[in-house]
Amino acid sequence: MRASGAIAMNAERAGEVRIHSESDIVATRRTVRTAATQLGFGLTDVTRIVTAASELARNIFLYAGSGIMRWEALDTGGRIGIELTFEDRGPGITDIEQAMEAGYTSGGGLGMGLPGAKRLMDEFEIASEIGKGTIVTAKKWHRRLGDSTS
Amino acid sequence: MADESISVVKVRDVLMVTMPADPDDASVSALQMKVLQMMEQYEATGLVLDISAVETLDSFFARTVAETAQMASLMGGRTVIAGMRPSVAITATQLGLTLGSAMTALDVDRALDTLTDAGQRGNSHER
Repeated sequence: MRASGAIAMNAERAGEVRIHSESDIVATRRTVRTAATQLGFGLTDVTRIVTAASELARNIFLYAGSGIMRWEALDTGGRIGIELTFEDRGPGITDIEQAMEAGYTSGGGLGMGLPGAKRLMDEFEIASEIGKGTIVTAKKWHRRLGDSTS
Repeated sequence: MADESISVVKVRDVLMVTMPADPDDASVSALQMKVLQMMEQYEATGLVLDISAVETLDSFFARTVAETAQMASLMGGRTVIAGMRPSVAITATQLGLTLGSAMTALDVDRALDTLTDAGQRGNSHER
């Protein structure tokens, strides 16, 4: 299905997945795949978005234990995109700059979750407070209006 | 929770394993153990990990696939990872993933050639 400059009337605009268990990482991937596909993203961009979501959902499961992923359709003056928000009330990130360095890990991961997810998305923000939690917001835009080939 | 089943077929001395499209982490880990046990059980000298169905290769999945190849190598089996989709290859590269020193092939056919030296005997798969 091609995007024609506007999101289809019957398309869902937002959704969420609560992350409590490892299987919720799969649930996050499936929800995000469906959302990105219906928003008209091409296969490669869908794969990028879903892979980023998988890394961020796993981070929540590994470091915070539980949290929530929300997605929202973006439609700002002709540009269509998707915004993913990953929120947890975990321990927070002590040093965000360090956490964004490839290869750095504090929890036995590969250390490419955050920097990798950032590379796959167009916009990426982290807000974190020690002892309060972390919110990661990531956006992906259609490369060109109505282009679903990339 | 229903795990996606994996298919394992032995052709000559090569074990061919089809990776599920979207497995959870526990299934991926279980799959690694199962593959290594089958290597021993069937006395395989080669292993083809077919990832052509895989739609999302994140860092955990990629690490497990690369590790499985290394482990099979320690057991005396050559491993070829076959069939990565273009969209997955693009994403994996941007994410910074590598599959270590594992051999790769475009598809299972070519992977089997590599492992059975059929390719050197005249590219019998070319039609």
